[in-house]
Amino acid sequence: MQSKRMFKYVAALSIAALAFTACGGGEGEEAGGTAEGEAVIHAHGTEPQNPLIPTNTNEVGGGHIVDQIFAGLVSYNTDGSTELEVAESIESEDNLTWTITLKDGWTFSDGSPVTANSFVDAWNYGADPENAQLSAYFFNPIEGTDQEGNSTEGDTLSGLEVIDDLTFEVTLKEPAADFPDRLGYSAYFPLPEVAFEDMEAFGEKPISNGPYVLEEWNHDVEAVLSKNPDYEGNRTPENDGLVFKFYTDPDAAYTDIQSGVLDITYQVPPSAISTFQDDASVQAFAEPGSVNATITIPNYLEHFEDGEEGQLRRAAISKAIDREAITSTIFDDTRTPSTDFSSPLMPDYSEDIEGAEVLEFDAEEAQELWAQADEINEFTGTFELSYNADGAGNREWVEAVTNQLRENLEIDVEPNAFATFAEFRELITNREIDTAFRTGWQPDYPSVYNYIAPVFGTGAGANDGDYSNPDFDELLSQAASAEDDGQRAEILADAQAILMEDLPAIPLWNQDAVAIAAEGVEGVQVNWQNQPDYYLVTK
Amino acid sequence: MWRYIVRRLLQTIPVVLGSTLLIYALVFLQPGDPIVALFGEKPVSEAARAQLEAQYNLDQPFLIQWLLFLKGALVGDFGISYSGQPVADLIARTLPVTFQLAFMAMIIEAILGVIAGFYAGIRRGKIFDSTMLIVSLIVIAIPIFVLGFALQLIFGVQLQWVPPTVGSNTTFTNLLLPAVVLGLVSFAYVLRLTRTSVIENLTADHVRTARAHGVSDSLVNRRHVLRNSLIPVVTFLGADLGTLMAGAVVTEGIFNINGIGNLAYQAILRGENPTVVSVVTIMVLIYVVASLLVDLLYAALDPRIRYA
Repeated sequence: MQSKRMFKYVAALSIAALAFTACGGGEGEEAGGTAEGEAVIHAHGTEPQNPLIPTNTNEVGGGHIVDQIFAGLVSYNTDGSTELEVAESIESEDNLTWTITLKDGWTFSDGSPVTANSFVDAWNYGADPENAQLSAYFFNPIEGTDQEGNSTEGDTLSGLEVIDDLTFEVTLKEPAADFPDRLGYSAYFPLPEVAFEDMEAFGEKPISNGPYVLEEWNHDVEAVLSKNPDYEGNRTPENDGLVFKFYTDPDAAYTDIQSGVLDITYQVPPSAISTFQDDASVQAFAEPGSVNATITIPNYLEHFEDGEEGQLRRAAISKAIDREAITSTIFDDTRTPSTDFSSPLMPDYSEDIEGAEVLEFDAEEAQELWAQADEINEFTGTFELSYNADGAGNREWVEAVTNQLRENLEIDVEPNAFATFAEFRELITNREIDTAFRTGWQPDYPSVYNYIAPVFGTGAGANDGDYSNPDFDELLSQAASAEDDGQRAEILADAQAILMEDLPAIPLWNQDAVAIAAEGVEGVQVNWQNQPDYYLVTK
Repeated sequence: MWRYIVRRLLQTIPVVLGSTLLIYALVFLQPGDPIVALFGEKPVSEAARAQLEAQYNLDQPFLIQWLLFLKGALVGDFGISYSGQPVADLIARTLPVTFQLAFMAMIIEAILGVIAGFYAGIRRGKIFDSTMLIVSLIVIAIPIFVLGFALQLIFGVQLQWVPPTVGSNTTFTNLLLPAVVLGLVSFAYVLRLTRTSVIENLTADHVRTARAHGVSDSLVNRRHVLRNSLIPVVTFLGADLGTLMAGAVVTEGIFNINGIGNLAYQAILRGENPTVVSVVTIMVLIYVVASLLVDLLYAALDPRIRYA
């Protein structure tokens, strides 16, 4: 009897609550709002993890800001093509010694001129190991640096020489035909003279020459950028300013987009990955992107050494993975299966690379290849695939891949999780990892060359699997001194054909470039760096 | 009384030393090289590594690291975070926010919990009591992040009564919803604790005596039942302040509040020893002070308890 009465009471309460909710629906007031005016765009950001010094910024939080407030020698268009910005010309006879001439009239926001020294001093600072800059690696092509890009001769690089106020000369260690294309990356941005007086203070409030200037960095809360009135480069802002609001949880940013407090985010929270494209309260943008995911099988693993057995097994594993199934079921089509080692976004991407069919799913052939390898040397034990569990979504796809391999190759396959990226990378860097492991690449500049040379060149910085093939290296150096873009693209396609045969890493898919914007926001274009071109966004 | 307070405060010294040493050891033992993580997938040169290790004392054995930390902490210097900011500044920025949030949550849970628990207790078995028991059961059973997202969706996105996230505006109205979410689970505990305690006290000797003397019902309930029932509740609330502050990580994430929980969480992910240990030290101090206050409150609530 009592329980029945109680039920009635609870039911009445719920109805009352519902009615209350319905009444309140109409009178909701606009939350948040913009104090600075309508045309200021509020974008999702994260607190920069380092001072805002271009050579010390290597993560998205600081990167998004630095890219907006500085202008380099060249700038990148949305599609990945390169355009001269501060540079008047970048020329070389032999792809080895480059003469860079600057346009006259560029200034920093404190009024000081942008000169050859602004670049040379900034690069010298970035390469000096005493400053331990996180992006020093980018100076590695320049004469006078070691493999990691740090200066070997103190605080100036022998490869940099100032000719006059607007001209300087760069000497490289090896020819690099695409050197001008690299110069839009943030590590190559110029610094004003005042920066070197107190770099710490400068990192808090940089003085810059880009489309925007940093008004205020309110730690953990937001970075306020206003239009730079003196900017006359290629990326003239369509809006009146940018505010990067910092979030630690992408879910919170997504919620703010839904309610119109935030205008744009580049990140889909895992909880919304299957719904954001149909969510009527937001605008979704998804296009093939540049970041790829691969599996590296180091050649010191037993059964995967250089030679026929290793080649057969790698091909078998590649063909045993149904990429389509994983990208559609686990990633809800926010990944696109790989067709090569780079991305379709690259200007020198090639559709037909010899041997690329090894990336297509074929369980029968996979088994056959594996059996052929077993004839050479019987496989025993377990094939393990390592990953870092602190990266969103890693566990899901690694488990799917290991399941497919187990099923299609009929061998023991296990995922192997590490708690943190730091632990995972340390083992890989020290070559102490004794399993296959997940890898990936985000290009530093738009070129296929950047996907393969730093990753698969003999002794290259990111060559985690210690791959080495003299034929491949030869093609790389040919590509580096190619006469024109067409010839270079052909050589790079040949180089990739070698990779398809050897499979030092197994390409899986490319992460789609995604942006989510609030209703009424216009001009959203996701660029080749997987970030919206913020200067084009309006509302 | 004063001697008691001084003695208790002196006890905090070994507690702080021990807990920082323990945390330092744990962070030190955490696998993974923070320098490698700092550089992402790019290689690190020996020279640059040596420079960074020296800068953050990472080249020292861990006991020395700990002593260096203590030496700095004594004069308010908690070291520098990897983003180049003094850890003391980070804490000064985030602690007041979390404190405000935890304090609001505690007020909400204490007032609502005690009132609801009191009425449920004196009307044991009636509709109000049963409803409250069911409500508290539901609240305890639902994980805090589900509650957080649900309330955020209803009140922030659909009704738009409050902004869905807090961000830079840590005003009372903006923090109200997160504070409710944070305090909701403890509210259920306070309610149940008060209720049980009230029921127990209703049959206590002194209450019966008071009634026999003809004292009015409401006066007996307030003076003798409620006051005595608050002792376990106060103990719980004292310990809960620490839990609320340390446990605000989830709520702070959902509502984008730049509090100390978020700071600690990010620092743990990046392996930033100075920040992690500093935050924990502050937390330990808050726990110690809160439990001291609880013990002193006992004396105010129960005349039989006196400290000498």
